[in-house]
Amino acid sequence: MLIGISLISFFIMHLAPGDITSSEAAFNPKASEESRQKLRELYNLDKPVITQYGLWLKRMVELDFGNSFASHQRPVLWETKDSKGNVIKGLIQESLPITLLINLIGIFLIFSVSIVLGTISAVKQNSIVDKSITFFIFVAFAIPGFWLALLLMYWTGVVNQWLPISGLHSLDYKSFSEIGQFFDLLKHLILPVSISMLSGLAGISLYVRNGMLDVLHQDFITTARSKGLNEKNVIFTHALKNAILPLITIVGLSIPGLIGGSVIAESIFAIPGMGKLFYDSVLMRDFPVIMGILTIGSVLTLIGTLIADIGYAWADPRIRKGLVK
Amino acid sequence: MNLFKGNLLAIIGFIIISIILFVAIFAAFLSPYDPNYIDINSILLPPSYDHLMGTDGLGRDVLSRMLYGARISLFVGFVAVGIATLIGIFLGSIAGFYGGWIDSIIMRLVDIMLSIPSFFLILAVIAFLTPSIWNIMIVIGLTSWMGVTRLVRAEFLSLRQRDFVLASIVMGSSNKKVITKHLLPNSLTPIIVSSVLGIASAVLIESGLSFLGLGVQAPTASWGNILTDGKEYIQFAWWLSLFPGLAILVTVLGYNLLGEGLRDVLDPKNK
Amino acid sequence: MKQIFLLILPLIFLISCSKNNSEVIDYNDNNFSSGGVLINAMSAEPSNLISMIAGDSASSAIASKIFNSLIRYDENLNFTSDIAESWKISKDQKTITFKIKKGLEWSDGIPLTSADVYFTWKLITNPNTRTPYGSDYTLVSQARTPDEHTFIVTYDDNYAPALDTWASLEILPKHILENEDINSTYFSRKPTGSNYYKLGDWVSGQQVNLIKSENGVLGKPYINKLTSRIIPDTSSQFLELSAGNIDLMNINPIQFKRVFPAKPKLKNRTALYKEMGNGYTYLGFNLKRKPFNDKRVRQAINYAINKEEVIKGVLLGLGEPISSPYKPGTRWNNPSLKPYAYSPKKALNLLKEAGYKMSADNFLVKDGKALEFEIITNQNKQREMTAVLIQRRLQEIGIKVSIRVIEWASFVNRFIKPGDFDVVVLGWSLSLDPDQFNIWHSSQQGPGQFNFVGYDNKKVDQLLEKGRRELDLDKREKIYHEFSQQLLDDSPIVYLYAGYGLTAVNKRIKGIKSPAPPAGIYHNSQDWYIPKSLRRNELTN
Repeated sequence: MLIGISLISFFIMHLAPGDITSSEAAFNPKASEESRQKLRELYNLDKPVITQYGLWLKRMVELDFGNSFASHQRPVLWETKDSKGNVIKGLIQESLPITLLINLIGIFLIFSVSIVLGTISAVKQNSIVDKSITFFIFVAFAIPGFWLALLLMYWTGVVNQWLPISGLHSLDYKSFSEIGQFFDLLKHLILPVSISMLSGLAGISLYVRNGMLDVLHQDFITTARSKGLNEKNVIFTHALKNAILPLITIVGLSIPGLIGGSVIAESIFAIPGMGKLFYDSVLMRDFPVIMGILTIGSVLTLIGTLIADIGYAWADPRIRKGLVK
Repeated sequence: MNLFKGNLLAIIGFIIISIILFVAIFAAFLSPYDPNYIDINSILLPPSYDHLMGTDGLGRDVLSRMLYGARISLFVGFVAVGIATLIGIFLGSIAGFYGGWIDSIIMRLVDIMLSIPSFFLILAVIAFLTPSIWNIMIVIGLTSWMGVTRLVRAEFLSLRQRDFVLASIVMGSSNKKVITKHLLPNSLTPIIVSSVLGIASAVLIESGLSFLGLGVQAPTASWGNILTDGKEYIQFAWWLSLFPGLAILVTVLGYNLLGEGLRDVLDPKNK
Repeated sequence: MKQIFLLILPLIFLISCSKNNSEVIDYNDNNFSSGGVLINAMSAEPSNLISMIAGDSASSAIASKIFNSLIRYDENLNFTSDIAESWKISKDQKTITFKIKKGLEWSDGIPLTSADVYFTWKLITNPNTRTPYGSDYTLVSQARTPDEHTFIVTYDDNYAPALDTWASLEILPKHILENEDINSTYFSRKPTGSNYYKLGDWVSGQQVNLIKSENGVLGKPYINKLTSRIIPDTSSQFLELSAGNIDLMNINPIQFKRVFPAKPKLKNRTALYKEMGNGYTYLGFNLKRKPFNDKRVRQAINYAINKEEVIKGVLLGLGEPISSPYKPGTRWNNPSLKPYAYSPKKALNLLKEAGYKMSADNFLVKDGKALEFEIITNQNKQREMTAVLIQRRLQEIGIKVSIRVIEWASFVNRFIKPGDFDVVVLGWSLSLDPDQFNIWHSSQQGPGQFNFVGYDNKKVDQLLEKGRRELDLDKREKIYHEFSQQLLDDSPIVYLYAGYGLTAVNKRIKGIKSPAPPAGIYHNSQDWYIPKSLRRNELTN
């Protein structure tokens, strides 16, 4: 599986006509072609493709993605220490937690809101409420994210100075207490998280709604109802539990979409996450970083799927018993 | 229309899509100006009787550009989804019909493609191949066939067990015939629904790529790049971003409502 | 205790947020005082603060506040002292002697001497240093440091751009870098310099803070801290400026001419500056392809393009037409040259001379082939718009033009390097030294070299070679005036415009020279100050 991913990433890499030496210094008359050839040799870009792939695959197994071409040899994945004990942080090391934080909050909110909306929709199937919810989640999905983001930035940041416009921290956040810093971060995350959340609402809400509808028509619900349990009890204890269960697997599958979608949100809100890093690397033809991110992104998805499977097994008593046996 | 009886949202979706298709097809007759006609004496005019949607930074009529942009945006959506659907049907039917090792190879491929963040993939490939309208359509198509493949495979797997298919196989029909005569026609519903929803995503992806400078390239107008041009002046020339923003919103909404409506109507489970 | 904090902090935020709105600020307070923080926005993060290795503009903008060169350009673009108090060129024009000021220190207190200068020269000419700028300095055949305050370089051959190269080489500290690998040293993220500012902290992907250095070799600046926020999207930058969260950003002509006048509140607290920009935009022909090898065709297209219209449409008038590759107003610019005036008639006459005839459907045709080509350009809004305007004017006289916009890296590698293009719209910088050898000499046509249009003129070659060797400014001026004239006549490129650099600065920043001197508004940024009453309260430290 990983080999497949690595092959695809490597193949894409070599669609590219450019290399790092073509971006920044390319149009500076003071940079000569020999100097650039020299750079190319230093980076092994002059070796045959197969050799480059071999070198790279070998390093990938050791989780060593090498150093970035573009940002002065910064390590792609993890920090390294130089002889004087200065720690140089890895590019992914610095950007991944930010993207993960935003996405985890995002996923959490998407699921909470979706479960509520989906349940209401299902319970009130075909009513005005159901229709309005469906309409609302589709509108949320259909708005071009960056447009809405700018409108909200203007409304909440310029017209009314309620929220910060961009960035992750206030300039003087270091002078705050720890709790202060936490609130400061939260304030900066409100807009980006809301924007990245909106597009995910539709799919999950509909999933919950349809799941609920299925469950509500099943025998055991009818049984529960006929036993005289009140409707709330039926919905929340019996139906919801069964309808939500399959959602766990969807968590794993939604990770790549969220990571990928972060490119635009991160650019517009000036958040130094993985999406922004990936976009910059693509424009700079910074191959080690592109490969590193594609691989790490895929590994994350695999881990997500795995956790989801385990979670599903743990939550579903039938499978759990099966495991014990 | 009877098809959607009682399904208000689907009717709305159907009407929206019909209007937009009409506008796109007859753009040349409907637009008051040449979409690329530059008038440097009427730069950034607000909407007025002469220019119903105002003018842009080069004095071009926004309404005319929007009408022609509708063509491009929808064209991108249709072709991209067409490519994805064809690949999906092809791989899905092979996997679902033959099963065995072919099936597991194809499904592995699907898993691999699903685990790579697809927007990253699109971004990288388009940047490397240079963005052009054809590359954008092909790349969106090549990165979104996995859903259809899974759908078709699942349908085939269940259809294969049905009596009429088994009967046809026993009677010695060729594999090709079984697939095209019996299996495919009976799995069309989910394919159509997923294609309609796919067009909506393709329109959104194009606008996202435009924001990053990798969408349909100027001077060709697409909704995505009109919106991107307009974002710089969101506080000043609101008409430059409002109209394309709304157009994308309404179109994507329309396709989604229509798709979901079709699912409800065509899916026997919901009857 | 903690619970109380939890309650109070959000309140503090609400208060501090809403205060900005109600506060009425008097921007007329001009009381001088030293201190305060200036916040600006950059679109990209610096890659590395050693500019000889970095090469991107974000890096050099920050690095130039930290490091000094031997000499620098003054506000009128003449050389003046920096680390060196004086310099002397020998009679044979092959040796330059720099006298370095006494008592200079790095910001860590270690003396700065000629040894550091020598070390820097060694470093940039070392083949293991991954710098694209080394070639200018390898022309130095011998460098010597007879004492701590003297640095002498000797060239084998006269090299006129020498002083310019020494004005752009930032001197690095030997005592820190001596045993380091320059290509990967941590110094690039935590440099020690000698200029007005030193690095405070650098939050990856978010901001770079520079703080006032107490022992800078040129003295002390008035503003205590420079914060550069990294905001990639220019729309977001502009929103931040509108909200008063950043003090300074580069703006575009539409913002300058239309948005600010329409927003009185914003205009009241922002000062707008314009200065001669550092580059020009041109339309370049592939001279190796037909029909662009014919001078008459090139001149015809030059006449057919309405430059005034381009400047009015694309720059809203905020730019100037040029007729030589030098900044208008500097000595290298030949004032007697005039751009090709817009004249479709002259264009058609020239094309007829070249053998083109108007076909029935109003296209120019020669030997059964229509005159048609593709203009390519990179993703730059202004260049795109320029191409669209040119397309229309050329179509009017019967030339079929298509336009293609291409992302930068592909643009360079797919089209420019292999020479696979008809016509490009691109820009060159208006360099301060007049040497244009790399761009126009016929020997510079290899793949990846800068004469990619394929210009080949023996007379120009000679002038360029002569100009490089002539250190006498007056003689040099003559050479380059002649060169410009020949270039204009041959028309291998059509000069379109040199746009103004436009900057919006919050009015709390005082001391900016207006109108801007030739070197631009940043030239005296060390003399800018922020009156006490106008400082952001929350950032006084």
